[in-house]
Amino acid sequence: MFLHNLKYELLAQLRVRMFIIWLLVFPIALGFFFKMAFSGIYEKQDVFSTVPAAVLTDNDDPQLKAVLEQLEKSEKPVLKVSYLSAEEAERQLKEETVEGIIRSENGVLKLTVAGEGMNETILKSFCDRYNSNAEIIKASAADPARIAAVSGILMQDISPVEDIRLSGGNTNYYDEYFYNLIAMVGLFGALIGLTITIENQANLSPLGARKNCSPTPKSVSLTASLVSRFIMQTAVMIVCVTFQQFVLGVDYGRNLPLVYLAAIFSGILGVSLGFMVGSLGRGSKDLKTSVTTAVVMLSCFLSGLMVGNMKSVIARYVPIVNEINPASVISDCFHCLNIYDDYSRFISKLIVMAVMTFIFSFIGFILTRRRRYASL
Amino acid sequence: MADTVVRIDNLVKRYKDLIALDHLSLEIKEGEVFGLLGPNGSGKTTTINCLLSLLAFDKGTVEIFGKEMTPTSYDIKREIGIIMQNVAVFDELTVYDNIDYFCGLYITDKEERRRCVEEAIKFVGLEDFTKFYPKKLSGGLLRRLNIACGIAHKPKLIILDEPTVAVDPQSRNKILEGIEELNRQGATVIYTSHYMEEVEQICTRIAIMDKGHKVAEGTKAELKKMIKNTETITVEIPEPSEEVSREISELPHVYKTEYKDDRLTVWCSGGKHNLIRVLGVLQDHDMHIGRVYSELPTLNDVFLEITGKALRDKED
Repeated sequence: MFLHNLKYELLAQLRVRMFIIWLLVFPIALGFFFKMAFSGIYEKQDVFSTVPAAVLTDNDDPQLKAVLEQLEKSEKPVLKVSYLSAEEAERQLKEETVEGIIRSENGVLKLTVAGEGMNETILKSFCDRYNSNAEIIKASAADPARIAAVSGILMQDISPVEDIRLSGGNTNYYDEYFYNLIAMVGLFGALIGLTITIENQANLSPLGARKNCSPTPKSVSLTASLVSRFIMQTAVMIVCVTFQQFVLGVDYGRNLPLVYLAAIFSGILGVSLGFMVGSLGRGSKDLKTSVTTAVVMLSCFLSGLMVGNMKSVIARYVPIVNEINPASVISDCFHCLNIYDDYSRFISKLIVMAVMTFIFSFIGFILTRRRRYASL
Repeated sequence: MADTVVRIDNLVKRYKDLIALDHLSLEIKEGEVFGLLGPNGSGKTTTINCLLSLLAFDKGTVEIFGKEMTPTSYDIKREIGIIMQNVAVFDELTVYDNIDYFCGLYITDKEERRRCVEEAIKFVGLEDFTKFYPKKLSGGLLRRLNIACGIAHKPKLIILDEPTVAVDPQSRNKILEGIEELNRQGATVIYTSHYMEEVEQICTRIAIMDKGHKVAEGTKAELKKMIKNTETITVEIPEPSEEVSREISELPHVYKTEYKDDRLTVWCSGGKHNLIRVLGVLQDHDMHIGRVYSELPTLNDVFLEITGKALRDKED
């Protein structure tokens, strides 16, 4: 009986055009637009980390050369250095092949740039730091007793240099937008979840009335409906993440399996949310659809998926909302994945999502099953 | 004596201040085609919904096959086929899949189910449309699909709630013939409608409802005996003189006359040869006679006489 119900529920779901459009075409199209909009920014991130610069060969400075060689050997070099004559360097600066010209005069670096911008700032920062460190080293050479203290200062200097990545720590802001998109698609599963109530309640559809007249226990019918929606939404989430990773080229790297996992959990949470909201009250089908859409939108709004700083505002004034808001929990889950190397926070968010799914589904079951209606 | 299939006793259903069913009692025997006739809002569908335990009621009892009907009476539900007023099918499933789905809610054996589904398709004449989706079907074919979904599992009790609303005459006839055939095959049928001709055509016993009350119950003949009118004669003539009108009014068994729109209508109560007597009076006065009609009382006349208003027999 259960498998019979499940088979036809799945068949029917596969042919619901509205959901195919909203849950597959919409995120794919939006992901495509994101990709187009952010691709420029993403390319710039690469430019930030490697600034082309010319170093003049007029005054040979072996110390500078040694430092630059070390820098270029690092995993993500800040500078890409070309050793050029003054004339050639100026020509390339005009042609914007290089962002600046570094000249060493008596061990002090002088910088020439053609404009203002992030790359010029990076070059300026490098030169300032080089000159500052050179001063410290010279001072320590004069007084060997201060070597230990100088080393400490140099190490302090190194740390912020290492940490200051323009993309900010482990965070990849570019990926965050795609995580948010996945979170929204997952939450839109509420619209699929709503149909469980509509198709199983006699007061919401003739189909519900007919099902209620059948000898199939409502618990079986509801479970089949719920499982079919879980399967459908899971497929949608897998397609969504796969499209982002392999078509749009969003690189989730080693997090990819966990992105799939979180996406599936968020989709299932969305479905159960719709099931529960649809089960509340005695409104019409249209009213319930409107309420569910409003709940999803409000949830997304409060979680910051629509307005960037909303979640921090909520965290300041009513932090409990962030703990129980499904959209916040979903976006937090992805955020943890993006921010922390340690997966404990991510796993705890997954557990919260699973518990919420269970609670929402349970409430939906209790409110929907074995109901005799006051009016039809 | 046939067994009682459905027993409704003192059923009361209120919607706030409105009493939708007012102490309704019905008893439906095995093998009957029982008609619930009444205008829209008379309580027919409410009765069906209470009977099926979809709707909570304020008072009374409902028994089907001798057992109390509740939302979890699965053994009773297994023997009931329901054809709702609104078409209740999946738009995303084909004709075959829809019938198979609903049949599968009652019959788990695949082979038996396949046989039942094919028989149901043949029964409603949808053999050429098995791969069609409901949206591609005409209104009449859609109604037939709705019926097939309700009867595929071969129920003992079939409940049809206004199944011919918005259906073309050809499909309507097909549906009515089908219901009679199902009854011949042994099913007890409950049929609600506000189309008196349909109820007259197929129902063996009828309950007439108005404003939540059962105003009359019986066979067609029994219902018609409840009223004074036995024959209504209509004659197209020029306006008759007072003398002619008086002579017709004084004829035996005539209890009412009316002249309107070039037609004289004469209502008779019992007796024979009423038409010949009326025409005799008109000929005696050399009146030019046009078309002549003689009609036996209908259920509409029954309803009219009992409630003082006509049944709605047109589409809403």
